[in-house]
Amino acid sequence: MPDLGNNILVSNTYETFTGLFGTFSTLAIIVGAVVLGLMTYLILRYRDKGTSTQEPEDAPTLGKLPAERGKVKTIAVSLTLSTTILVFLVFGTFGALDNILTPPKDAIDIKVTAFQWGWKFAYPNGYEETKELRVPVGKAVRLIVVSEDVFHNFGIYDYKIKIDAIKGRTNHIWFEAKQPGEFTIQCYELCGIGHAFMKAKLVAMEPGAFNAWYSTSGA
Amino acid sequence: MVQETEKPSVPPAWSIKRWLFTTNHKDVGILYLLTSVFFFVAAGWLALLVRTQLGAPDNAFLNSSAYNQAVTVHGLLMVLWFLSPFAIGFANYIVPLQIGARDLAFPRLNALSYWLYFFSGILMLMSFFTGSAPDGGWTLYSPLSSQRYTPFLGLNVAAAGIIMMIASITVGTVNFIVTIVRMRAPGLKYKHLPMFTWAMLITIGMMLYAFPSLLAGTLILFADRALGTLYFSAPEGGAILWDHLFWFFGHPEVYIVLFPAIGVVGDILPTFTRRPLYGKKYIVLSLVAAAIISFVVWGHHMFITGINPTVMKLFNITTVAVSLPFDVITIAMIETLVRAKIRLKAPVLFAIGSIALFVIGGITGVFLASVALDFQLRGTYWVVSHFHYVMVGGSAMALIGGLYYWFPKITGRMYNEKLAKTHFLLSFIGFNVLYFPMYLLLDMPRRIVTYTASTGWGQMNLLATAGAWIFGLSQLLMFYNLFVSMKKGMPAGPNPWQASTLEWATSSPPPFHNFDTIPVISEGVVHLTNGAGHSAALGAKAETEHVHETHTSTWPIIISAAAFFTLLGLLMGFPVLQLAVAFGVIAVYGYGRERFTVRHEENAESWPYQGVENVKLGVWIFLASEVIFFSALLGAYIFVRVNSATWPAAGQILSIQHGAVNTFILLTSSFTAVLALVSAKAGSRKYTMLSLLTTLVLGLAFMLNKASEWKELIEHGFTFNSGLPASSYFITTGAHGVHVAAGLATIVYLIIRAAEGRYTKGDSGTIEHFGLYWHFVDIVWVFLFPLFYLL
Repeated sequence: MPDLGNNILVSNTYETFTGLFGTFSTLAIIVGAVVLGLMTYLILRYRDKGTSTQEPEDAPTLGKLPAERGKVKTIAVSLTLSTTILVFLVFGTFGALDNILTPPKDAIDIKVTAFQWGWKFAYPNGYEETKELRVPVGKAVRLIVVSEDVFHNFGIYDYKIKIDAIKGRTNHIWFEAKQPGEFTIQCYELCGIGHAFMKAKLVAMEPGAFNAWYSTSGA
Repeated sequence: MVQETEKPSVPPAWSIKRWLFTTNHKDVGILYLLTSVFFFVAAGWLALLVRTQLGAPDNAFLNSSAYNQAVTVHGLLMVLWFLSPFAIGFANYIVPLQIGARDLAFPRLNALSYWLYFFSGILMLMSFFTGSAPDGGWTLYSPLSSQRYTPFLGLNVAAAGIIMMIASITVGTVNFIVTIVRMRAPGLKYKHLPMFTWAMLITIGMMLYAFPSLLAGTLILFADRALGTLYFSAPEGGAILWDHLFWFFGHPEVYIVLFPAIGVVGDILPTFTRRPLYGKKYIVLSLVAAAIISFVVWGHHMFITGINPTVMKLFNITTVAVSLPFDVITIAMIETLVRAKIRLKAPVLFAIGSIALFVIGGITGVFLASVALDFQLRGTYWVVSHFHYVMVGGSAMALIGGLYYWFPKITGRMYNEKLAKTHFLLSFIGFNVLYFPMYLLLDMPRRIVTYTASTGWGQMNLLATAGAWIFGLSQLLMFYNLFVSMKKGMPAGPNPWQASTLEWATSSPPPFHNFDTIPVISEGVVHLTNGAGHSAALGAKAETEHVHETHTSTWPIIISAAAFFTLLGLLMGFPVLQLAVAFGVIAVYGYGRERFTVRHEENAESWPYQGVENVKLGVWIFLASEVIFFSALLGAYIFVRVNSATWPAAGQILSIQHGAVNTFILLTSSFTAVLALVSAKAGSRKYTMLSLLTTLVLGLAFMLNKASEWKELIEHGFTFNSGLPASSYFITTGAHGVHVAAGLATIVYLIIRAAEGRYTKGDSGTIEHFGLYWHFVDIVWVFLFPLFYLL
């Protein structure tokens, strides 16, 4: 299983992602194991062991067009099975998507501006900074993400959340921190030679500490 | 049996001249294979540099700039200059053999296609020597790729290379479709086509519709960078417009590199399992379905660009749906193994291995189809791993299997089986050690030059790097094996694998004409000779024509070289440009005049192509790709216009009068083009020439009017870089103007030929073909005029 971090519920988005990813992974591992297992079995079972020179009746022969074979039933059964799995996954996805796209009404709006190569965070009270994004635990935060030059992508990998930052467009993403801590914000779209170093720190703070910091900042 | 009495007039195989001027499909196939393998090695080397850099945290083996260039060119070369051309190499060699033809429909065009590809690759590589190769990722995302953020000439050179590459592909697609549609041996129906030929036909069909979108995008990018237009640097176009144009091409492109591999597996499996392919009909239907759906899934590359949620969901559904045909294909291939007698030789090991890897790549792709998961997985190593499992595992591994499979046919000698099996084992293990750890790096961003140790990504990266070297070095075993076996291998005989498809029905390597007699298929039996008794009526056709065929031409390589220097000249200016253009004009004229005779084998005349000769069919196919090209250009125009807050009203800047006059001129010229054809058919040289001359004059009048209009506009400050209305106007009408100019050049040629007495003795075809093109160019204007002038 892929490493999903320290398994501590750090944000609501982490929860959404890991839940859905877990469902996908479980099904993927089952389907993969069945298909690859079947292949391995068939190869071992039907490999030419050199014990007889007898060929299958319909073996390809030069000068003869190969016989048609294949039952619709086999194809249909397999199609139905995969369609069922996929429909199930699509519904799971759409459920999670609505959650990802709809922030609570009382979310704090913070504007994030991407530039070559860094991030600028602007708070409702006018305070701006580039090194750290501070947010309170237990309160929804909506990020309004724009770019001032090229195509960037704002990502917090511990929160399993991302959004493109594109000049001329305003994109939104929201999350609610569940645990205090420090996390990495990083760019996920190649944006020039500084791409790998386009980082900032996300600091999730206890509400009291956050309020204390916020009321003294920017004023 | 008819013996070949006359030896083909080609230089011998050891002569350099042979390889420069050949038009034979097998020669061109070998050239394609060798050239694409060269790009495979070059791109592979870049990948090893990248992996070495990432092997340890905080590594400083490559700096950011070098790393970005390596990553970018690695992707471009592998996708455009290795995978597709490698498959086209096989298609060149194998498809005519599989359908019982003696060559492709247009052998000279085939050579042209190869040389355009060759020189386009040189352009691509030259970008390294012009300051900096492209370094913004193979997807060339804007606005990073605009002049402002990437001020290197290298990207212009690379864009020119891509444009030339697309020209090569367009020429090739026309050729293959006509060949497969028209030149199948008598009695060989579509349903009898071997899997590889089927897969190539569908692949080529996708190429025809996908590449024009990239062409439009790259041309605009080139204009933005070289002329200063603003499509991709203005926010109204910018990143999202490029995304649309690129991914409309980009997703079908994934299947364009995958389908030939499915075809190869589909041919290898029955041969080595000794059972016919299970559900071949359903595999073919699935390929067609996937090909069609692939054109409506591109939005999944843009899930988190902030597109409308409903659109997101629709693209999520189409993307999930496209996995269903692949489910059918995989199941059918696995089912083929049931009650088989599998001879585990190298080709089938690679084939089965590629199915296994494709299964993993496909399943992990379903994760990416999920728009909710994409909010995390986008831009991470999960994506990198997924598409390498598909493109390297599913595609490259299978094509390597194809190389072992057809090596005896191409060289007449067997490779060393033990070495080949070792190669399979090492590359299969190396592959998984290389790419599987990347699934576990689902937090790590793509395309970062380095990472800190605190991320914990070091171990998996080290593993991947070790795998990369195993995978890379294992390829040397193959090169060594094939190189030695080419000279010293055991003679293979015509059919070493007891395969059933037609390429094995002739000697190894096949004679110049492939088959002494065209095979005839009736009632499930292939008649390879016209011996006593059977199918005399059908078989007779091949014997009757004794044409002295041409097999070499000097023009394809010269035209391609001229195109190469013209593009280079656009970037370097006088005198390279002027000289190259002059050379190009001479070369194209020479190409047109050259007496190049091919045998016409229109065996498979059936609805809807009955009575449509090859060239005309070719022109129609070409125009189909042009439709997509202009649709993409107009789509880009509509996109920026809808996104712009303000736009000049009709008549405010562009003069409706100018436009209306030009509309009238162009429509009249279509009428005179028809007159030319009618006169030619009636046998009147005088009226043919008169009509052609009138068409020329009208065309020139159009261009003059256009030129004075451009001049006026530019003098009034409406210039390339004065805003999106101007940029879109100049690019779109400019592209149309180039088409008109090409038409005018053709008319001049037609007039010269008509003066020499051509076209009026029942050979009016060329005038008809020109007419189709000319009408098409007029129709485009009929769309441009209202869209730009009246609305």
